[in-house]
Amino acid sequence: MGSLEKLMDIFENPQKEIDEWKKDGKKIVGHRCLYVPEEIIHAAGMLPYPTFGTPEPISKADSYFQPCACEFVRNIFDLSMDKKFDFLDTMVLCNTCDAVRHLYNMWDSYIDSVPCYMVNNPQKMYDESGIQFYLHELEKFKELMEDLSGTKITDDALKNSIELFDETRRLLKELNALRMRDIPAIAGSEFLRVSMASMLMPKEKANLLLKEIIDEVKDREIKDGDGPRIMLTGSVMDNPTLIELVEEMGGVVVADDFCTSTKYFWYETKPNSNPMEAIARFNLERSVCGHTHPVSNRYDYMNELIDDFNVDGIIYFNIKYCHPFVYESATIKKQLEEKAPVLILETDHSLSGLGQLKTRVQAFIEML
Amino acid sequence: MTTKVTAPGKKNLETTLEISKAIRAYYAGVKLAKMEGKPVVWSYGLVPREIFHAAEAPVLYLEHLPLMIGAKQLSGHYMQIAEEEGFSRDVCAFHRCFLGCSVAKEREPYLDKFFVSPDLIVASNLPCMSETKSFLYSADYHDAPYYFLDAPINTWGKDVPEYAIDYFAGQLQGTIDFMAEKGIHVDWDRLKEAVRLSKKLVELWREIDVCRRAVPAPISSVDGLTAAYPLIQLPGTQLGVTLFERLLEELKGKVERKEGVLEDEKLRLMWFGVPPFYNMGLLNYGEKYGAVVVKSMVEYIAGGGYDPAILDPDQPLKSLAYKALIDIVNPTAENMLDFIVDAVNDFKVDGLVGVVKRSCGLLPGYMRLAKDTVYENTGVPTTIFDLDGLDIREYDDATSKANLDSFIEALLASKRR
Ligand code: SF4
Ligand code: SF4
Repeated sequence: MGSLEKLMDIFENPQKEIDEWKKDGKKIVGHRCLYVPEEIIHAAGMLPYPTFGTPEPISKADSYFQPCACEFVRNIFDLSMDKKFDFLDTMVLCNTCDAVRHLYNMWDSYIDSVPCYMVNNPQKMYDESGIQFYLHELEKFKELMEDLSGTKITDDALKNSIELFDETRRLLKELNALRMRDIPAIAGSEFLRVSMASMLMPKEKANLLLKEIIDEVKDREIKDGDGPRIMLTGSVMDNPTLIELVEEMGGVVVADDFCTSTKYFWYETKPNSNPMEAIARFNLERSVCGHTHPVSNRYDYMNELIDDFNVDGIIYFNIKYCHPFVYESATIKKQLEEKAPVLILETDHSLSGLGQLKTRVQAFIEML
Repeated sequence: MTTKVTAPGKKNLETTLEISKAIRAYYAGVKLAKMEGKPVVWSYGLVPREIFHAAEAPVLYLEHLPLMIGAKQLSGHYMQIAEEEGFSRDVCAFHRCFLGCSVAKEREPYLDKFFVSPDLIVASNLPCMSETKSFLYSADYHDAPYYFLDAPINTWGKDVPEYAIDYFAGQLQGTIDFMAEKGIHVDWDRLKEAVRLSKKLVELWREIDVCRRAVPAPISSVDGLTAAYPLIQLPGTQLGVTLFERLLEELKGKVERKEGVLEDEKLRLMWFGVPPFYNMGLLNYGEKYGAVVVKSMVEYIAGGGYDPAILDPDQPLKSLAYKALIDIVNPTAENMLDFIVDAVNDFKVDGLVGVVKRSCGLLPGYMRLAKDTVYENTGVPTTIFDLDGLDIREYDDATSKANLDSFIEALLASKRR
């Protein structure tokens, strides 16, 4: 099995990685959102594990959340009620959106098997007083991770973790750059799987596999890779169904802006002699997400993607009731349309209405 | 389904009529200021009003404007305009409403009495994320500079740490600096005075609340919601204090005379969620059964749910920061749940009515938790149903009344047992 296949396999079945990690009694800290400082978890000798949803319909969570909460959050809560996250030693959330704030309330009140913690991050970026506030919060989080792991987190351990995670980011970015070519070397749907698999597995192992994948695919050209070049953006995208739909319709998904992909690796940590400050600045000096301010930096980052990947059309994917992105869409559409046509799709996280979206996607691609 | 079976709520206080006059005078003042060339601020949510009063700045508070036009059943029209502009129906109805007002080519004469375009915008993510993004569109549309006031969520309950207060106080200072750049200057002595008056206002509100606990209830929440206006727009002003002094006086008289909303009060309800501003008569609906809505959580949405002792006029920014961060609507849930349980006990509530405004990112998330917490702590039951308090297009009068009928009948039956 080649390394690309291996990572795709891990994406389909992460349980093997979980079992492998846990067999020596090592701990796993689940989280939701890329603003949770994974390096601190790793420096304590634990595995940071991003919790993704599934396309399953919601069952138990619907008697706890109103249907007007975003379906992704209801899905995560559903899985936690079904004890699917009981392998986690703790769950960490951060202050990104109203829905996640409620997920914290609900998890804290109704899920006894896994404790839940909230890292209180500012939503204003590039603000020195915000960095000071956040450093206090990160110190508290560090102490919590030390207590949970029974390991003192040293500066050296933090620096090593920062370097390791940055290496993952560099490698993902290098692999992603192969999508800039006239005919990309890796399909969008493959790339999302690779990116998500490397997020949830130990980075030491992910980095080795990523290096091998880059070698494996660098001389490839994907089939039908000369169609309209599409960028996908919007709410969390934790399965490749929509990307595959675009590919089936003849579009080539050359770029994306999801927290399961490009948002995760686009920026690296800036050098800083104080590793906690390095982490704080990494999180508060990259305006990639819909919840952050000011938005101008987010527009710059999106425009960079559109130019670098030579994008012909943009599909903006909104999970229903996902407020950060639903609110942003009308404003950002105006901005992005200066660069390329934009199609806004509003649907559920489970993509249950995909059939109806098909016609719109097809018409959009044909128009390009 | 939209029906026309709507009615304004019944008010039975002299002072709420005075408050209504004060509201109209406030908007007329903002309009006049604009005509005189003064820069007008748009703001929302829990941005402390004291700062604006200390600068004598004319401010349009955009949670209030939709209520005004909602009461005239005009809000749906403006939401429609926002939707045509590209805003999803999942965007908070309040925000869709003022976005529609903001970009409308023509405005109804009624709205025109209140609407003023912004020269600068101050928005915050407290209590929800809605405004921080929807204001950007208006800022762009009106070419108005925008300041984002970042509030940490409250993960500490009542013991907010110093570093969090310092951070938010710094954000308030940032607001002051931003306004100064646009020619609006906060006077430090006036700010201290505003904090003193704000403290007085909340002290009075607490006394008013004590009166309202009386059985029979001297006023229903229809009056209560109008009475809460000074808390929303007038903290830090002598006018707010004067109105509350009069209200307290009037209420004391009613309590002494044992004058209730109903002669034969059988049930006391509390409302949780946004009431139907286009049909406030729904809050009187239960009166035919002897049920009075004695309290509404929304009365506290912009303050009033905290101990006024935390306000120190000599430390105005820190005081205002602390008050904002411990506000019951600042997530996470602890302070909100404590508040509801206390209110259920203090107001001798028999049942909690929770209404879900589909497009709200904040309040629907509390429904199940509030229901369970209130039941565990007090044994009081809750009914929860869908009702968008601003978007009349989503209102179903028959279903709303049927929900109230069955809940009230069940409460009465259990009382008889
Ligand atoms: S999908 Fe949107 S609303 Fe849901 S958790 Fe993510 S950012 Fe929040
Ligand atoms: S709290 Fe709810 S109703 Fe109020 S602005 Fe936020 S989303 Fe809208």
